Amino acid sequence: MLKDITIGQYFPTGSPVHSLDPRAKIIITIFYIVVVFLCKSFASLGLCCAVLLIFILISRVPVKMFLKSIKAILPIILFTAFLNIFYIGGGKVLFTWKFISVSEKGLYTAAFMTVRIILLIISGSALTYTTTPTMLTDGMERLLSPLKVFHVPVHTLAMMMTLALRFIPTLIDEIERITNAQKARGADLESGNFVQRAKALVPVLVPLFISAFRRAYELAFAMECRCYRGGEGRTRMKQMKLKMPDYLSFAVVVLFTAGVILLNNIYPVL
Amino acid sequence: MKEIILETRELTHIYAKGTPYEKTAVNGMNIKIEKGELVGIIGHTGSGKSTLVQHFNGLLKPDGGQIFLDGHDMWENKADIRKVRFKVGVCFQYPEYQLFEETVYKDIAFGPKNMGLDKDEINRRVIEAMKYVGLDESYADKSAFDLSGGEKRRAAIAGVMAMSPEVLILDEPCAGLDPAGRDMLLSLIKNYRESTGSTVIFVSHNMDDIAKIATRVLVVNDGKEAMYGTVDEVFSRCDELKAMGLDVPAVTDLFMKLKMIYPQLDAGVYDINKAADILYSLLKGGAVRA
Ligand SMILES: Nc1ncnc2c1ncn2[C@@H]1O[C@H](COP(=O)(O)OP(=O)(O)OP(=O)(O)O)[C@@H](O)[C@H]1O
Ligand SMILES: [Mg+2]
Repeated sequence: MLKDITIGQYFPTGSPVHSLDPRAKIIITIFYIVVVFLCKSFASLGLCCAVLLIFILISRVPVKMFLKSIKAILPIILFTAFLNIFYIGGGKVLFTWKFISVSEKGLYTAAFMTVRIILLIISGSALTYTTTPTMLTDGMERLLSPLKVFHVPVHTLAMMMTLALRFIPTLIDEIERITNAQKARGADLESGNFVQRAKALVPVLVPLFISAFRRAYELAFAMECRCYRGGEGRTRMKQMKLKMPDYLSFAVVVLFTAGVILLNNIYPVL
Repeated sequence: MKEIILETRELTHIYAKGTPYEKTAVNGMNIKIEKGELVGIIGHTGSGKSTLVQHFNGLLKPDGGQIFLDGHDMWENKADIRKVRFKVGVCFQYPEYQLFEETVYKDIAFGPKNMGLDKDEINRRVIEAMKYVGLDESYADKSAFDLSGGEKRRAAIAGVMAMSPEVLILDEPCAGLDPAGRDMLLSLIKNYRESTGSTVIFVSHNMDDIAKIATRVLVVNDGKEAMYGTVDEVFSRCDELKAMGLDVPAVTDLFMKLKMIYPQLDAGVYDINKAADILYSLLKGGAVRA
């Protein structure tokens, strides 16, 4: 059950998209999301879909993985679609029943919003599927580094995030292990009322916290032994450098934006 | 033939079924474990030992095949699976990380308490279990977190013993202990079985440990039972064991090498005392020439 979480998972295929600079990918993703919001017509939205599809194909991450991440937020998508269908009026009325009426415009808006949300989710997952969590935080650290002027501890925050991401799978394994061990001693975690269930969690949570703290101490010692002392004067093993493919992708994105604006003007109506 | 307490028929377990990470950890296993045996399970890393063991008390559900406890299909009546856990006690790899109560006593009492026993019975069982693992009464009120690694391990094992399971299963009980701690734990396990008459199954990577206390050996290879028999039977098939990437007891290894010089020797020797006797008679018999 816990293992089914796909959001934020990395899916290595060694494609050109995977080897793009993480900063480039973050900027492109943000840019893409903004452009998706600028879309005013189905034509421009179609262009967004096409561009994303090309990126996905190049990345060689199976389409199934994206469907999985959409499935996770399906209720939200359906909910917005329903609200739009029933609450937005205007244009030809297609269907009425008692106080419910569905208009042409409502239907269009619902479809438009649904596609938009799906594009947002897919572009977000495309970023995490093709970039390791470490690369992602490294990229963010570099992008946010100007904030150091305002004494924002960018490096520390990025390090915290890297460590947190690194330990999620470890902790999930640990929870499973401890749960099994306590179940083997007859712990009953599945029945009883709310209070009983909360109490039954104690035998799992106590060892979990203890081991989390133990790991934290061990990691802290290990980092100190390697002379870690924060971000000051720290250089990187992997220097980030924008290369030809990165510039190329930027160019594609600029062209794509121009295309969207153009299509917005040619087919402005919804 | 003795009564059979645990039996698997074509037992199969597949992890992450239907994903690219699918892995068949146990693959059509057929074994019968008799009452009162001390079974040692051995196999290289990832061969499916822990997975197999977790089926014995119903923590994992088979993806194929059946598992019988006392002649009853464990999964016939799903609601009874908790009862199975009281009959078959499993102590996992590195059990010391499951301790959670303020005192050693309370932690050992966790299992019996879940069984719904009364206070006197719980008390009796906890004290008995502490005796089995060699923790004297001064430990009862200590915090479980102030013990040494080996003491924690023994406290955790006592927590399972206190449930008086008919079958006690220990997954790598000796991992990470020093030789003295290892020997002590092994003799505790042997002693526990002798005084309670219960069936004990233990997983180990160390052939010498198994040779020391087990009555039967199960060799697991790639999720299948590669060999299952008495200690003599299994250790006489040294070559096959080595082909599976397993070690043989140090004494057996020595005898295998000696056999190349003295073909009349029996290679399936794993007991050091027996080995000494054989070598002695060999020397006396004048088979060794200067
Ligand atoms: N929760 C899990 N999800 C997916 N695969 C798993 C899981 N647990 C074990 N496996 C896989 O199943 C196989 C058997 O694992 P198992 O833990 O039973 O091996 P083992 O014989 O106990 O090994 P070891 O001697 O290292 O403890 C391994 O290949 C392992 O990668
Ligand atoms: Mg194991």
